[in-house]
Amino acid sequence: MSGVAMSNKKTLKINSGKVSTVLLPVLFGVLVIILWQSGILHKVLKADTFTLPVPSRIIGIVSENMPSILRNSAATIKVAFGGLILGSLLGYLLAMIATAFPKWGAGGLTIVSAFNAVPIIAIAPIMTNLTKDFSRDPNTRSMLAKMLVVMITCTVSMSINAYRGFNELKPFSEDLMKSIAAKKSTVFFKLRVPNSIPYVFTALKVSVPGSVISAMVSEYFAEYIIGVGRQIRENIVLAQYATAWAYIAAAFVIGVGLYIILLIIEDLSLKGRR
Amino acid sequence: MKKRNCLKSLFTLMILISAIVPVMANGAQEEGEVSYYPADATAETVVVDAASKGQVGNWGLGNEYEIQALLTKYGQPTTYLSQAFDMDGFDDDSILAASAMTYNELGLVKNSYDGGYGYGDSVKVIDMNDEGVAMLEDNLFCTKEFAEANPETVKAFIYASMKGWAYACANVEEAAEIVFNNGSSVSPDHQLYMANEVKKLVETDTAGNPVSEYGKMEEAAMAQTLELAKKYIKLEDSVAADKLKTLTLDDIRDASYWEAAEASDGSFSVEKSSVKIQLKWLPQSQFMGYYVAKDKGFYEEVGLEVELVPGGGDIGETTAVYTGQVDFGTTWVSNLIAANAGGMGLIEVSQLYQRSGLVLVYKISE
Repeated sequence: MSGVAMSNKKTLKINSGKVSTVLLPVLFGVLVIILWQSGILHKVLKADTFTLPVPSRIIGIVSENMPSILRNSAATIKVAFGGLILGSLLGYLLAMIATAFPKWGAGGLTIVSAFNAVPIIAIAPIMTNLTKDFSRDPNTRSMLAKMLVVMITCTVSMSINAYRGFNELKPFSEDLMKSIAAKKSTVFFKLRVPNSIPYVFTALKVSVPGSVISAMVSEYFAEYIIGVGRQIRENIVLAQYATAWAYIAAAFVIGVGLYIILLIIEDLSLKGRR
Repeated sequence: MKKRNCLKSLFTLMILISAIVPVMANGAQEEGEVSYYPADATAETVVVDAASKGQVGNWGLGNEYEIQALLTKYGQPTTYLSQAFDMDGFDDDSILAASAMTYNELGLVKNSYDGGYGYGDSVKVIDMNDEGVAMLEDNLFCTKEFAEANPETVKAFIYASMKGWAYACANVEEAAEIVFNNGSSVSPDHQLYMANEVKKLVETDTAGNPVSEYGKMEEAAMAQTLELAKKYIKLEDSVAADKLKTLTLDDIRDASYWEAAEASDGSFSVEKSSVKIQLKWLPQSQFMGYYVAKDKGFYEEVGLEVELVPGGGDIGETTAVYTGQVDFGTTWVSNLIAANAGGMGLIEVSQLYQRSGLVLVYKISE
């Protein structure tokens, strides 16, 4: 797990450095798009405009098929977001339990993290089979199956990070609580929970892109045909690369969009801490 | 104090959610007996019933057009359940009318050898050929560009491949064994079953008449395939969709290479001697003619060194041929049509399967 806890308080400080950290990647992206549109990128990659259509063509297809792209994107976002919430809540809960029972808690979490090693393509068909009796409506039961896949991929990073947040306290703070004979629950809610918030965001930074990816992969195996990932696959198999790229662009917007929303929420909620 | 209560209720909520999810997952198991179809049920009865319940299955990914044509024929919407590559969905009744290839899935459903479900005669099928919605499947194709630059190679490849197919159909057991020894993904029993069924598809046309010339392009069947493809292939790219409407048979097939190969005495001066063919799926009797031609040295006789590249999963055989990773490919005619609509200049040079191998399989009540 890449559960790198931020050495908190430093990130996202608004200063002149932020301009360059945002501006340079954006400029690089613009440069890539210019090279792509002008065909230089194709020469470098030895690609043709059939399998790698130019951006203007992709944008053309996106604008022609807005309703369809929005419908599929909405399905993917629902799955990614629903799974993210379920997985994160479950992960946080596991971390709470592990903290409440420290003797086996840490070891238990190691076992939980083994779940992260199971590939999505192995879990997705299993979930599709397990949820077959959930609803008569294939869309509903597919949605649940996909969310459960995303949930599994999001649980581990949250449980490990939240556990660290609950336990990596400032050395004196726990002693202080003890010295004033604070109850266990008080220590938990007044000290551990607030301390875990930055760690929660660290977990979410891993989980949010992960949730979008696993939502799209789980769509491959779902009974009901919908979603950005499924459309990418259908169109590539049918050799409709330009259309597939339109959905890849949609996937990009979803992934980056959710990540930016997360950064904004983090910025707002951690404001008082810097 | 307020904040603490808030956290407490959040905690309770989390416990509730984690408790509810598994209960919900098991909650809806109310339905009891699934009623199957009477043995004498008509195709219409089965299709209308299964479609109205939303329980017609297909794999999608370009395999769905015949099923959609069938659904349309009986006045049903063209939506279907996405079927996995196994038949578990049919087995557990979540799919009442499941897509199956006669030579593959149908064998697994009926037979009880390793990997089979053993349904025997308690299942029946709706045949796309009988329903008049057949589309031609496995063919042999390359790019127009390749065919024009290497006409002798194309003819030689067709000549040797058809010799392989003829030998395979005449010696089915030996052909199945050859395929099995070439890294089979399925059991020898299933490989033999498949070889027998594939023989039927190669030697019978859509009307059930015998075909003696292997790889012949039957105009009427090709035309029906193109017509249905134009109707049911849905492309969101308007450029490709417009092109699809204008495609004619001459844009997708060229019978001259096959005719020349048929008329040939077997000697060719090939332009390119080392060629590859991309198969549509894993090594199995579906492609037995090519395996036999290679194993029996038919390719060597015409001066070709041939590599058979197995497919599987999401291998795009049209893309592999288009990008030049391989020289030849085998695909369904509808997939070639979609690829050409998208802008690939592919050309069918031979049509192996003379009738559709796709059926809808359903269970009957005894």
